Amino acid sequence: MNIVTIPLKNMRRKPTKTLLLLLVFLLGVISIVALYQVSLVVGHSLEKKLTAFGANIVVKPSTETLSVSYGGFHMGDMLLDIKDLRESETTTAIRSIELNDRISVVAPKLVNMFKVGEVAIAAVGVRWEEELGIKSYWATDGAMPEGPEQILLGALAARKLGLETGDALTLKDRRFEISGVLYETGSDDDSVILMDLSTLQQLVAQPEAVSFVEVAALCAGCPIEDIVAQIQTNLPKTSVIALQHVVNQRMSSVRFVQKLALSISLVILVTASAMVGLSMLSAVNERKKDIGILRSLGYGKTRVFLIFCLEAGIIGLLAGAIGYLAGYGISLKALEYLSLTEVARPLFSVTQLAFCALVFPLITVLAALYPAWKGSSIEPSQALVSL
Amino acid sequence: MLSAEHIEKSFPSEGADVAVLKGVSVHLDEGDYVAIVGRSGSGKTTLLNVLSTLVRPDGGLLTYRGANLTSAAEKQLNTIRKSDFSVIFQFHHLLPYLNVLENTLLPFMGSFRPVSTELEHRALNCLERVGLADKARRLPGNLSGGEQQRVAIARALVKSSKILFADEPTGSLDRNTGEQIMGLLAELHGEGLTIVMVTHEPAYAKLAQRTIEIEDGVIVH
Ligand SMILES: Nc1ncnc2c1ncn2[C@@H]1O[C@H](COP(=O)(O)OP(=O)(O)OP(=O)(O)O)[C@@H](O)[C@H]1O
Ligand SMILES: [Mg+2]
Repeated sequence: MNIVTIPLKNMRRKPTKTLLLLLVFLLGVISIVALYQVSLVVGHSLEKKLTAFGANIVVKPSTETLSVSYGGFHMGDMLLDIKDLRESETTTAIRSIELNDRISVVAPKLVNMFKVGEVAIAAVGVRWEEELGIKSYWATDGAMPEGPEQILLGALAARKLGLETGDALTLKDRRFEISGVLYETGSDDDSVILMDLSTLQQLVAQPEAVSFVEVAALCAGCPIEDIVAQIQTNLPKTSVIALQHVVNQRMSSVRFVQKLALSISLVILVTASAMVGLSMLSAVNERKKDIGILRSLGYGKTRVFLIFCLEAGIIGLLAGAIGYLAGYGISLKALEYLSLTEVARPLFSVTQLAFCALVFPLITVLAALYPAWKGSSIEPSQALVSL
Repeated sequence: MLSAEHIEKSFPSEGADVAVLKGVSVHLDEGDYVAIVGRSGSGKTTLLNVLSTLVRPDGGLLTYRGANLTSAAEKQLNTIRKSDFSVIFQFHHLLPYLNVLENTLLPFMGSFRPVSTELEHRALNCLERVGLADKARRLPGNLSGGEQQRVAIARALVKSSKILFADEPTGSLDRNTGEQIMGLLAELHGEGLTIVMVTHEPAYAKLAQRTIEIEDGVIVH
């Protein structure tokens, strides 16, 4: 028996009214939690889809350039100490950062120049599976290479070499079959030969060598800088660069989904809070007698204020806790319905539950501040008139 | 113990202020039993409410045990209302959603600290004293008018109030029940409780040691 007994028993006396009020706020909480969870997963899946439009981090060997000039003649920049990266070492290091769940594609590449007849052309060795993960926009008139002996030509490269799908090409005495020519992409891929990474490594007798690694990271909810910093820590001797424009463009689509969910949640929350506040306000008058009795027994204004706030807080606490559980359940069902559960499942977290059980009472109390103030400012004499 | 000097109180009515108390002085000594009588609308309830601090007077001086209550801070008044003064209204004195025992302990439920079992025992004793021990867990709605009055008296007892203010405590009761309540008040007065009671019944007024008659906001007797 303490001060909480008073609002608790009062709520129990009017179960229908209390339940109705609880239901309204509960609906608010449920929709907010469900919207939040669904938007997280949808954002995640959206980002995964957007990853197909390119990598957003590049890991390169660190280089120092030296401008060489002699007697006033500029002799070009000299790259000092370019060492290739070691493939397995580098990819493992990238995959093992703390935020590794954010890394979706790690695509290592080796670049080498060849002469085909009189034409100098670059060959790029790639891991097909990874590469297609970030270049799903690639389209070819033939087929994607299947074995180590099959290669892909960029549109410009094919024109320069005068070759087309089905033709053969010899590099360093090894015969390759052109499985397809890429339609123009407008990128560097247009002017190169694309082939299997291991094959190229053998061809140039540099097993394990990689020129650079492209990484596609999912960055909803975490800044790309963190991922870059973690990769840099694991690979201190490389230079890790974030391609900001790719990141920004990608994030803006994801943020739009989340902003939409947030604004809808806010509208619901404000409406539910207004309901709580209004219902409390209408109760102030009908509780004048109670207030008069309490005041005549030595309850100060703050006590009366507290009783009103407690009542609102209890509603918020119940709605927050039950709402989180129900909202979580509903978001699971909704994602199942949208068949998005394979992409990612909403996370059930005790911290979030505790957060809801703390924040929603705060909101209901906030909504009840004005009615509570009105109730507490009723003077005992005023309250007595109704006795 | 409690003294009121030249108390003035007016209420706004149809635009103009109507004086209800026009310089009323009352002195109460420890152990007094005073009845306030007068016609309806003469200002009895208003005077009682001023004395019990529930209504602030417009003029005059109210002192309790040397402390000036007219200029006292809200907090000091709350303390006195909680521990020293008890008011029994004519009709409503109980919160309808708390049971009899909780209503008796209401003055002690104002904080997060739970009411001690010691106090609870005491409340049960007081309820027994007014003959309601078996109804401690009932809600006020299930009690008769006389029983509700007795719960309010039991509450005053638990607080060990110094002064009991009662506004027509028998007004809504039948003769039999009314006499029971009056008997109880006489008994408590015998134990040293100071009582101020507003009543319409000349027979009950005679039970008090003193009678104050008020007419149109002035004491005439
Ligand atoms: N809060 C108030 N606001 C306005 N007028 C009031 C208020 N309280 C009392 N009055 C007026 O003051 C006058 C005295 O009222 P009071 O209640 O003190 O009379 P009473 O002697 O107790 O009457 P009764 O025997 O009918 O209870 C009445 O005319 C009443 O209308
Ligand atoms: Mg009256």
